[in-house]
Amino acid sequence: MRHLSDEELLMAPDGDRHLMECEACRGRKRELEDAVELVREHREVVDPIFSAGVARARLRAAMAEAAAAPAGETLWWRPWQAAAVGALALVCTLAIVSRAHRRYDVPSPRLTPGAARAVDRNALCNSELPKNQVVPADLRERVFQAYGIAHADPRKYEVDYLITPALGGADDIRNLWPQPYVSTVWNARVKDELEDRLREMVCGGRLDLAEAQREISTDWIAAYKKYFGTERPGR
Amino acid sequence: MPAPALEPRGSTLEDEIVGLFDLLREPLLRYLASLGLPMADGEEIVQEVFLSLFQHLRRGGDRTNLRGWVFRVAHNLGLKRRSKTSRLSTVAWEWLCDPAPGPEEQFFQSEIARRVRAVLRALPEQDRRCLMLRAEGLRYREIAGTLAMSLGAVSMSLARSLARVARAADR
Repeated sequence: MRHLSDEELLMAPDGDRHLMECEACRGRKRELEDAVELVREHREVVDPIFSAGVARARLRAAMAEAAAAPAGETLWWRPWQAAAVGALALVCTLAIVSRAHRRYDVPSPRLTPGAARAVDRNALCNSELPKNQVVPADLRERVFQAYGIAHADPRKYEVDYLITPALGGADDIRNLWPQPYVSTVWNARVKDELEDRLREMVCGGRLDLAEAQREISTDWIAAYKKYFGTERPGR
Repeated sequence: MPAPALEPRGSTLEDEIVGLFDLLREPLLRYLASLGLPMADGEEIVQEVFLSLFQHLRRGGDRTNLRGWVFRVAHNLGLKRRSKTSRLSTVAWEWLCDPAPGPEEQFFQSEIARRVRAVLRALPEQDRRCLMLRAEGLRYREIAGTLAMSLGAVSMSLARSLARVARAADR
């Protein structure tokens, strides 16, 4: 009896007559299937940048943004519409550039969606609290550039982590934004209070780490209101 | 490995997409890393893939075999990204190319693991892609669709690679 080739064995359905009758072929097919298992077992272990919660929140935010636009509409087949949008975009860009001291109480979801290290709660809570982690100067400069802030005054802004390192936030430009210290109600010092509160809750087992990362990265002001039970800080 | 439920229906399209995202994010990141892309690029591509899926389904696009669709789009975006940038992930590149693991790694890796990895490193790129997709649980037809190959070419490639892996494990 001619035995099936490896290729034929791989393509043979379970009830194949030749396979049913040929023990050697069944054995070879098992060997090949075991080889797939071996590859599966020894393939690379990935170390994602974002926790599952943050990655999910980013996707939901992007879908919400996309859903605001009508489904299936494209501009390239309507030149007049594309031209109008282009002109509007130019005006908006000029307006943004001219506002050198624009305040960013909340970061742009596009520029700063948040990024977290892959770390679990125990490791995070048992490690020393990273205090006043300094953002490297070149990274700070890139953040200001991304936000269109020319000649940033360091006394006015803190380049802050959206997800604080104390909650597993990563040293990544996507996790940094220029947050004003003063002049706004929702400033850097208020956010520091929230970060302390969330870490305390996470390490006390009262809040899931991924949930804390998700809430602070999607809308930190809403998170403050929720966890401090107030509509305005300092009350 | 039991096949995961691949088309969970949530209460909204967004929930459905997030359900798929939870199932397939890690396999996709692993596959993109095996193409030599840094993890940060992999994360961006995966986000882009699922946003495209969302748009595709909103437009009433074809729902048959969403897993195949997702892998195909990720593969194409991954190759596009790779051709734009010459930087490859240090981790992925070491995994693919380092012929001599350090003493610590040698200690932790079993003999079989080292042999299997040596075979994977030595495979032609297209064979390795086929094999990695198979290891992620894709069916032959899905692999063919993802890599734009014929079904026959996929089975030939897998037969070649698996025979080499089986020989390495048996040695």
